[in-house]
Amino acid sequence: MTDIKLSWPKNYNEIPKEAFVREDIYAEEVKRIFHGTEWHPVAHESELPNPGDFKTYRLAGVPLLIGRDVDGVVRVFYNACSHRGNQLETAVMGNKTEFECPYHRWLFDSKGDLVGCPNPREFLPGFNKADYPLAQPRFDIFFGLIFVTISAETEALLDYLGDSQNCLRELLAGDGRLKLLGYQKVRYDTNWKSYTDNDGYHAPLLHQAFKMLNWQGGKGRQYTATHRGHICFESALSVATGPSVLKDKSLIEFKGQDPAVGSRIVSLFPTFVSTKHLDVINLRFATPIDAETVEVHYAYFAHQDDDEEMVRHRLRQSSNLLGPCGLISMEDASVFHRIHIGNHTPGSAIFQKGVHDPLKLESEFLQNDESGNLPRWEYYRSVMGFKRAAA
Amino acid sequence: MMQADISLEAALNALLLADAHALDGKDMSGWLGNYAEEEAASYYCRSAENSEHGFALGFMYDDCRSRLEDRVTFVNDIWAGTFQDYRTRHFVQLTSFDRIDATTLGMRSNFSVFMTPKDTGITQVLAAGQYLDSVRQGKNGELKLLSRRAELDTSVLPRYLVYPI
Repeated sequence: MTDIKLSWPKNYNEIPKEAFVREDIYAEEVKRIFHGTEWHPVAHESELPNPGDFKTYRLAGVPLLIGRDVDGVVRVFYNACSHRGNQLETAVMGNKTEFECPYHRWLFDSKGDLVGCPNPREFLPGFNKADYPLAQPRFDIFFGLIFVTISAETEALLDYLGDSQNCLRELLAGDGRLKLLGYQKVRYDTNWKSYTDNDGYHAPLLHQAFKMLNWQGGKGRQYTATHRGHICFESALSVATGPSVLKDKSLIEFKGQDPAVGSRIVSLFPTFVSTKHLDVINLRFATPIDAETVEVHYAYFAHQDDDEEMVRHRLRQSSNLLGPCGLISMEDASVFHRIHIGNHTPGSAIFQKGVHDPLKLESEFLQNDESGNLPRWEYYRSVMGFKRAAA
Repeated sequence: MMQADISLEAALNALLLADAHALDGKDMSGWLGNYAEEEAASYYCRSAENSEHGFALGFMYDDCRSRLEDRVTFVNDIWAGTFQDYRTRHFVQLTSFDRIDATTLGMRSNFSVFMTPKDTGITQVLAAGQYLDSVRQGKNGELKLLSRRAELDTSVLPRYLVYPI
């Protein structure tokens, strides 16, 4: 760890803009956060439904190979040969029961064991293939959602999730039995923290679709789970009423079962955002590329029990509603870029909506508050070792 | 190549260019006007990666004429004034075509799209890929897009999309 200096205001609702743009801070974030004691969702089991299925992913640069072995067990490996460290698998996804490194033809099975390597009699005396499996990070699974942590010190996953467990489980359709519909992948020209700093205040203001479709919510709650400031939104599903500017109203129809808590968002520190809105189930796997770029893989899902009509409905709703080109989300993408440009100015970003006392942190918020982001900012500040000014 | 094929190829090229012209001019009504006035008219924009793995999910999924009309509303009305605008230049190249039936043709073409955000003025590639089209031939020989799938080699977009590709 390196001691990085950043003057942090005494008020909880002020975030110094330097934190978003300084290269030295980013380098330290990679060490303390992305390679530190945090759990990072990297895939859902339903992306690998069959034995031999795999997906590759890079978590803040670290290459991962996430696979289901021939016996159906999910495993996570570093995507690097145990010999010289060559990237083992280059495909984004696929199905293989063996992985061969082309460099020196070392061969691994789907359990990560080294099963072949040419000319072993010329290796060091005592060489044993059993000593050279693919290395693995720690991983754990919550209703199919696969988490990885690079640190040996991170607490157990369930403790990490804390009070977000219930909301996350419900968002994963209650049982985690999802079926992958596909991906939308995009890079945003913004710091990863701006990407995750979206708030409840902006929704009815930025997104004109809500107004034009007379589609107003605002009745729900958000709350903070654990000292990390994971944020859960739960709200009754509101549906558009009145005359629609859309000719095809089925795009914003709700065909699911229970609208009582029909809309959920779970945002886990540091970068994971997941949402269930209308009939869209969306897990956003996000990773920083550098201080000014974040890459987001929006993965969309149906439920395994859906009939054909429901799958088709989810497919068109998922494609058109909440992604980087979506009816009620494209503007978010643009704001990510603009806020990053604005963050190259002096001073602090100020939070107002829902703040009652700038010297106190709360944990329960209204749906359209922006103060729900403040507990995670306090956690970020503490992990980074930035000293808060005296009150 | 027969004379009929040459004139058909020229007409298909004209349709390709008309679509590029409408998109680069941000003329969404013109864009819509290149599509057949049939309920089945459709536009999809998705990554080749999704297609190769059997996923129909896309960046845009307009599977009927009214969805195409709503796409015009998204751009012209709902999103107006909320994004950093950018210019595009579409470069298209017909690679093959064939006749499917008396009134329908299949057409493939390559595309590359440059974008230049107005605020930065820096030009970069937005996407490359191919169009997989069905083209409707009217009674008088006029051609309209019945279905277009913009299949992107670019599986990770460098930016959000406002306009169709």
